[in-house]
Amino acid sequence: MTGNGKKILFVEDEEALQRAMGTMLEQKGFNVIRAMDGDIGLATARKEMPDLILLDLILPKKNGFEVLTEIKKDPAIKSIPVIVLTNLEGSEDVEKAISLGAMTYLVKANYNLSDIFGKIEMALRSNS
Amino acid sequence: MGSARCYNKPYMENWIETISIKKVCAQYRVKIWQCPQFLFMIMGVVITASVLATYILASSYQEPEVAALTVLALSAVLFLIGYMIVRAFEQVAMASKSKSDFISIMSHQLRSPLSAIKWQLNLLLQGPGDISPASMKTYLDTVVEQNERMIRAVNDLLEVNRIEDRDLILRPSKWSLKDLTFKITEEYKKYASAYNVKINLTAEGDAPQVFADEERTKRVVEHLLDNAIRYSMNGGEITVSIEKFGDFIKWKVTDSGRGIPQEEQRRIFEKYFRSPAAARFQTEGSGVGLFISRSIINLSKGDMGFSSEESKGSTFWFTLPTKKPI
Repeated sequence: MTGNGKKILFVEDEEALQRAMGTMLEQKGFNVIRAMDGDIGLATARKEMPDLILLDLILPKKNGFEVLTEIKKDPAIKSIPVIVLTNLEGSEDVEKAISLGAMTYLVKANYNLSDIFGKIEMALRSNS
Repeated sequence: MGSARCYNKPYMENWIETISIKKVCAQYRVKIWQCPQFLFMIMGVVITASVLATYILASSYQEPEVAALTVLALSAVLFLIGYMIVRAFEQVAMASKSKSDFISIMSHQLRSPLSAIKWQLNLLLQGPGDISPASMKTYLDTVVEQNERMIRAVNDLLEVNRIEDRDLILRPSKWSLKDLTFKITEEYKKYASAYNVKINLTAEGDAPQVFADEERTKRVVEHLLDNAIRYSMNGGEITVSIEKFGDFIKWKVTDSGRGIPQEEQRRIFEKYFRSPAAARFQTEGSGVGLFISRSIINLSKGDMGFSSEESKGSTFWFTLPTKKPI
């Protein structure tokens, strides 16, 4: 199995997107942990120590930028690669996410699940 | 017929149309007195008149004070027109900014369901043999649901456009707001229970019928209920009441939700305005629902308002006439 049970935390509040991405990653052999808001996403990252985090930006309770800031401030989890997966694509959003430490910035509507899977594999390889 | 209509128009209006200023101003969606082209034309007329007047006065009167006073008065008029031109350009710039904000908000609103549809289709296309019938149904249900969401977003876009073009045509008739509300609250109960919110409906025994567009009022009621549910606290309660109010029926929804911060209250009926607090925790929402709702109610000769306290909840209300307005 490609994923070899590696843990991926997907922080996304839209159920339809959670389900589709979760299904694809589980089929590829990943262990997917789901979080529906920023607070839970951050707490889960600290508790589960995933191998990679997929992070939406518009989230209930704590937005993606705030979550990213806190991840990168926490020595225990700051080395976990974060892929921002959003539908915001203003250049200021991209710049902000990258400057806060996101490894990659992907616009959901522009990518198929298989393309995103490719980016995840690449991110995991470069971090190993 | 177009040409027959022209004969009935006042001479000035025909003349303005001939040189296309009216058409240009209509494209800017501003009134004629807020249109830069028209104001520049008026300025030109005033300048020409002032040159002629100064010449005539200077030739007729020996006293320089008369000419000086005339020039002073005309300068004041020109100054005023100049100010109006600057304001007119501001209006046009604001209209353009508002359009660009709209495109940005709507494209984001369409992207979310488009992404969801795309990903469900990716799963469906990966190989029919790998998908159980139950999963296939889930993916297809999601596609249908997200498609409906897109249709709602596009309908809102068209409605805003109609309102801006003053082209929103209502089809009023007599019908029962109480029956409509009862039907909608029944439909919304399942949705509300997903948010752990309870809906109560209180209505006077024989509330008279209203005279309004039923289909569009339905959208207003749905929108206000949807907001009340979405911004309610978990375990909250929503009360909808309908009562007679003179020659009007007053419809009201009270929630025990998050409420609207004081500094945002004056802006909530503005087109595309989304409370920063709301935008942070709600992906869905284009900021046009209350704008459309108030436009529909105002065009129906009713009124709409709200009161709200942060962390305590909000009350949104509207009135509709019970008789055909004279």
